[in-house]
Amino acid sequence: MTGRGHETLEHTADMGLRGWGVTPAEAFEETALAMFDLMIDRRGAGAEIDFTLSIGGRDLTGLLIEFLNELLSLSDVEETAFVSVRIEKLQGGGEEWELDAVIGGIPRGKCRKRLLSEVKAATWYGASVDREGDGRWVADCVVDL
Amino acid sequence: MKVQVEKIGEFLWEIPRSGRMLVPGRIYADDDSMKFLLKESGAKQWDALAQVRNVACLPGIVGASMAMADIHPGYGFPIGGVGAFDPGEGVVSIAGVGFDINCGVRSMLVDVAKERIELNRERVAEELFNSVPAGLGSKGAFKLSVPEIDKVLTEGAAFALERGYGVEEDLEYIEEHGTVGGADPSAVSRRAKDRQLKQVGTLGSGNHYLEVQYVDEIYDSEAASAFGLGPDGIVVSIHTGSRALGHQIGTDYQSVLRNASHKYRIPVPESELIAAPIQSPEGKQYIAAVRAGINCAFANRQAISGLVREALKRLFRLKDNEIRTLYEVGHNNLKMETHDTVEGRRNLLIHRKGATRAFAAGRDDVPARYREVGQPVLVGGTMGTSSFILVGTEQGMVDTFGSSVHGAGRVKSRKQALREYRGEDVINDLAGSGTLIRTRSRKGAAEEAPGAYKDVERVVSIMEGAGVSRRVARLRPMICIKG
Repeated sequence: MTGRGHETLEHTADMGLRGWGVTPAEAFEETALAMFDLMIDRRGAGAEIDFTLSIGGRDLTGLLIEFLNELLSLSDVEETAFVSVRIEKLQGGGEEWELDAVIGGIPRGKCRKRLLSEVKAATWYGASVDREGDGRWVADCVVDL
Repeated sequence: MKVQVEKIGEFLWEIPRSGRMLVPGRIYADDDSMKFLLKESGAKQWDALAQVRNVACLPGIVGASMAMADIHPGYGFPIGGVGAFDPGEGVVSIAGVGFDINCGVRSMLVDVAKERIELNRERVAEELFNSVPAGLGSKGAFKLSVPEIDKVLTEGAAFALERGYGVEEDLEYIEEHGTVGGADPSAVSRRAKDRQLKQVGTLGSGNHYLEVQYVDEIYDSEAASAFGLGPDGIVVSIHTGSRALGHQIGTDYQSVLRNASHKYRIPVPESELIAAPIQSPEGKQYIAAVRAGINCAFANRQAISGLVREALKRLFRLKDNEIRTLYEVGHNNLKMETHDTVEGRRNLLIHRKGATRAFAAGRDDVPARYREVGQPVLVGGTMGTSSFILVGTEQGMVDTFGSSVHGAGRVKSRKQALREYRGEDVINDLAGSGTLIRTRSRKGAAEEAPGAYKDVERVVSIMEGAGVSRRVARLRPMICIKG
């Protein structure tokens, strides 16, 4: 694994996502990008509109699931395909964690040919956010397709 | 840790009760299928047998934690999983319903000669493709307001019918007549409703489809005759669910049920298998929300069936009575049902996650026209392969709470399928064997390649061999529309 990146993991029915980075924020961003890649061909696509979001969670894993599900929901409500993500704040401790992010997207009506598949939800199955022995943060989650 | 199984019948295996299991696990499989499941068990992160075992640990489970022959790993429950719970002592689990609440199949009989479809295959495909919104971000036939969505959630199929989609007779042939009681729109978030405003009447993507099929084999002429199926008869099947509203209900209640699991000290053998006591405020609220999601799926399929009906009427100058709903039944459901158990007749909350209700002859829930033979069980194959119509049996009522398979069941992950197949090749190969595929996503076609699924013939044979359901007819696809 390089400094930061993402991949999909084998899961018979659905799809596992893994994102990693030097900080939890980077790992979260990469996992979100892994999810976007299921939904849109991002190659060469630039964001046309930005959205900000703020969410909370009881632990890092809960925050990850909440974050991914908020992205799915926002994408539908705003009829926008997301192509970029920047986490501005990810902090907390104990049972209070919070995250602020800026998400970049393209209105679906302007990128129909790039659209791929729907993602129904991010699940807790096999979900984790851990720091590996080499110091990198790794975020895993299975999404329902 | 590898799960231990014992063979207790030609097509039935048991995970004996041990540890925190309250009941045994029961899996319908032949020797080869079980060999595959055991190879995966303990070796891979996603383990369907371990999921059967974990469900057996949930409080109030009755009889056994079961998996039908299309078993494969899900999240929490296996796909193909069935779990019955005592309404007093038991729990309701989000993993036993999933995020596509009441995903299911509607099959319609169309009185048009097979040759006419063959001669006009491209035109029919084009007309259906243009008539039924499909794929990521597609918009439905009508744009609704939130108060109108609330009506969708309580009225189900009747909502779409009132707006001119389909005919009154359709309702007779939908599970629950297309509307379940006890749905509470106030248990559904504003966000869920907002996501659905433009999605009623959309097919979706992934494994959802619309197929024009013909009857190529009849196994049970009495049941086939009752269902209206004859050789070369044309059937149109729609596979879709509750769309974004269902997804959002699942998402919203993840945290509610997670907190409830903690509050009521429910043992959660794995992170997604969260649950709430059926009688708790959280459990009741979740059930009321799921029922709203069930109605949303009924409305969605009714709307799409109306679009299909109009397209076929235009194409072939058909009258309304030349298109009849054969049946519609869900396979991601939560239902309160009455079953005869060793302890007598009981009301039970049945979870079916990728499993179809399969009631035997004589039940009031089966439409009068079919009551002497049993309920049609609609089993979708994979894109381009056969689908089956089965019928429920008395043995199934006893052994599986009246449940059977819902499809072929994946054996290869989407990632593996993408490595092995090219969408264009899949589409060309299927065209060569007589199935015209229309899709917006070639990647999706590769993911859904027939080789990524179990052989549906084997899956239905296992259920028939076990006596749980019986084959009535096999359907071959002629046109397949995907999102």
